[in-house]
Amino acid sequence: MDGVIQLQRQLVDYTASLFHEGFLDEQFNQLQQLQDENNPDFVVEVVSLFFEDSERLLNELAKALEQQCVDFKRIDAHVHQLKGSSSSIGAQRVQKACIAFRNYCDEQNTEGCLKCLQQVKHEYSLVKTKLETLFKLQRRVLAAGGSIPKPI
Amino acid sequence: MEEEEEQQKHEQASACDSNGTPIHVLAVDDCFVDRKIVGKLLEKASFKVTSADSGKKALEILGFSQDKVEKSSYNDQKIDIILTDYCMPEMNGYDLLMAVKGNSNVKSIPVVIISSEYDPQRISRCLANGAEDFLRKPLQHKDLQKLRSYVKPSAPVPKTGTKRKVMLELIPESGTAETRPRIAGVAVA
Repeated sequence: MDGVIQLQRQLVDYTASLFHEGFLDEQFNQLQQLQDENNPDFVVEVVSLFFEDSERLLNELAKALEQQCVDFKRIDAHVHQLKGSSSSIGAQRVQKACIAFRNYCDEQNTEGCLKCLQQVKHEYSLVKTKLETLFKLQRRVLAAGGSIPKPI
Repeated sequence: MEEEEEQQKHEQASACDSNGTPIHVLAVDDCFVDRKIVGKLLEKASFKVTSADSGKKALEILGFSQDKVEKSSYNDQKIDIILTDYCMPEMNGYDLLMAVKGNSNVKSIPVVIISSEYDPQRISRCLANGAEDFLRKPLQHKDLQKLRSYVKPSAPVPKTGTKRKVMLELIPESGTAETRPRIAGVAVA
């Protein structure tokens, strides 16, 4: 029993740190609220979709910025999509990086866009690692017979 | 926590029309992540959901047929309300709104637009052309009660104001660096 309680404690603390450090915002809580017995893997499913979609968009962005003639409208559309989906799952730092990126698109500033792409990639990579760790912890809690505490 | 659970229970029970049939929402969004989230949000609140990944697909669902030989039957899926994202490629939410309002067979179906961006011109253009409301993404549980209210047939005049009044309240969200005003209220042209 102690093991479960310790794991749950670890999970609660880790989750809290992700919010405290700004990786996740309230929207992630909203997502967790949607998960129930009928859809016990809802959060993992949605976040997995987000990972797939983001990786596709980041590849498209890299390709678009390599072109001789940079299509800023197309790039802006991709960043807008990424901003939207990161906002929908509560990936706050990715969302903020996308906002900065769009400003450089407006200015048609290739160098600025390249820097922002690196920043977005960096933030995405961080939140992906954090979320994967979170899900791993959740699985350990469940495997030990515990339950995942619902957000307040 | 208790209050929120109470409210959720109330909303779950109320996502039905006067006959007790679940309200059928046509949810249109090109983003897969958002379709999944909005779909789940609506289902959990006991709405019936049909999803479309484009305006074109939404029109097909509504019965707009490209086949000129056979007469298409409009709204045989009995959609009660359309909830559409604004920013979509090819046909955006505004284009979809205009297509729906321009067709006498389906123009009575209420249309609500959702967007991640706050653009006053965009908002007033949609509201002026028949959109019931313009909501901010990501959609929250508390936005769902509004959807139900737009489906009510021949609703009595609300106590808070007449249908002609335009109310736009900007409520900045606390705790976020970017100002994300939430639009509350109903506006009718």
